[in-house]
Amino acid sequence: MKTEADYYALFDAYRSGGLAKEERTTLEHRLAADPELARRLQEFEELTGTLTAYGRRLALRRKLHAIHADMDAERAVRLTPLAKAAEEDERLEQFATGRAPRPALRISRTEEKLRQFWQGHRATMMVAAAVAVLAVFTTLLGMEMYRASQKPSLYGYTVLRREVERIKRNQRSMNRTLNQMDAPQPDKLNPGKFSGTGFALTADGYLVTSYHVIQGADSLLIESRERQRYRAEPVFTDVAHDLAILQIKDKSFKGFGRLPYAFKRGQSELGERVYTLGYPREDLVFNDGSLSARSGFEGDTGFYQISIPVNPGNSGGPLLDDKGNLIGIISGRQMDVQSAAFATKSSYLMRLVDSLGTAHAGKPYNMPRTNLLSGTSRPQQIRKLQDYVFVVKVYE
Amino acid sequence: MGKGQPSFTDEEFVAAIRRDDDRALAQLYRLHFPMISHYVLQNSGTEDEAKDVYQEGVMVFYEKVRDGSLELSCQIKTYLYAVCRRLWLKRLTDKTRFGGRLDDHEPYLETGAEADLEEAEERDRRLGTMAQALDRIGEPCRSLLEGFYLLDKSMQQLTAEFGYTNADNAKNQKYKCLVRLKKLFFNQYQELI
Repeated sequence: MKTEADYYALFDAYRSGGLAKEERTTLEHRLAADPELARRLQEFEELTGTLTAYGRRLALRRKLHAIHADMDAERAVRLTPLAKAAEEDERLEQFATGRAPRPALRISRTEEKLRQFWQGHRATMMVAAAVAVLAVFTTLLGMEMYRASQKPSLYGYTVLRREVERIKRNQRSMNRTLNQMDAPQPDKLNPGKFSGTGFALTADGYLVTSYHVIQGADSLLIESRERQRYRAEPVFTDVAHDLAILQIKDKSFKGFGRLPYAFKRGQSELGERVYTLGYPREDLVFNDGSLSARSGFEGDTGFYQISIPVNPGNSGGPLLDDKGNLIGIISGRQMDVQSAAFATKSSYLMRLVDSLGTAHAGKPYNMPRTNLLSGTSRPQQIRKLQDYVFVVKVYE
Repeated sequence: MGKGQPSFTDEEFVAAIRRDDDRALAQLYRLHFPMISHYVLQNSGTEDEAKDVYQEGVMVFYEKVRDGSLELSCQIKTYLYAVCRRLWLKRLTDKTRFGGRLDDHEPYLETGAEADLEEAEERDRRLGTMAQALDRIGEPCRSLLEGFYLLDKSMQQLTAEFGYTNADNAKNQKYKCLVRLKKLFFNQYQELI
């Protein structure tokens, strides 16, 4: 009977190939026949295998430690001044050989701390910064948009040109789709983007309206009460007093005929009863009230304050007193004050016309001089007046 | 660093390590240490812990390569990173049951690192048992076995070193020791399992 040690010697020889050929074959035969022996061999192999693996593991660990120590040493060496000098030499050498030097980073302790902090919290800080920037720009943009939506009515001042686009187009497109289900397509009419009111200045085709009505206009269309349309062009504008003078350019235009009203050159009195005609909607609308102040928005002396309820579209409409004198041009209203509308004083219009008349020598404005309205009742005045008040349509 | 040394591709690294090229191993070690060190430092570890984790990771990689059983489906860098990350997270959970901030929101990478780590753990346990068995086997035996199996000394050398009369004697002694080691090893190993 062999001892275990003998088997081990046998196995060892078998593993290392130290057995003679016939011994080897007999052992293999026995292994195949004897499961006990095979188990022993397996155990032996596991044992020695583990043992060598353990040895290798130890060796590897030593190796890695050595590598790491090497690395640390290298790093330490690099920081000593002696090494610095050596590096300096090296760098000079590199310059000489034309290779670019690698910039070495030397940092103080506090800086190192800061760097570590930065590295640790970089992502968070980036996100915070991004959010902050986004918030700032969103706020700015929002405010800008809000302000733009109020423009040009600073501080509650609203100009009264009408956004036709929104109101009319929706309504009409609905009607149109309903009507045009089977009907042939009629000529499409561009209703214009904005509309305001204007009135005749002279019999030969000059008109007055508010500057903000025609602001940014590509083309202007004047429409009378009888749906008569004329093309017009701005001749002169006065932004400060919100005035614009237009001239009708159509060849078919024959003249307005005699204007029934006169322009007042002086100032009107407080409390005077005044009224206006305008096109805040498709039809001519009359409104009246009193002259409440002789200065306009924020004390602007170029304007009157009047207590007439005006609406978008009224802008550029004539303001007349009881006697039928034209005393102003409707301009805007104050949102946060009850029924406070503003109208440019006619004296400024007169001054503008006079200065233009002298500038355009030989082509004076033939202003109406007599007032045909005075002494008549208001409905009569309006009946005469309504042919001289027009819709100003603006196309952008 | 890296000066005057050849730089290897991943395949070359594996091939070089397989033929026991220590320089390749050293270079690989240096190449990827900063990454792991950075990761561990960022996740509430120290430089020393980074070193430990990294060495363990490299060991897993190295042993897989030497085994020839490494199936690298990604870059070595990614593999090492995955292994070290697992190791470090495990260590963190062991260190603090609570409070240890685990930054484990990174996408799961299919690197095979998980399976390899389990294998490595099993091997660690076996090797640990072996170390214990060797500790308990007592002196002449331990040195004899270590000399033969770990340091690859020849029987003649060992005979001379340990003062045996002849090589057969030494051999006999070695086998006896081996039998004892086997008993110790398997007893403990089985216990653990």
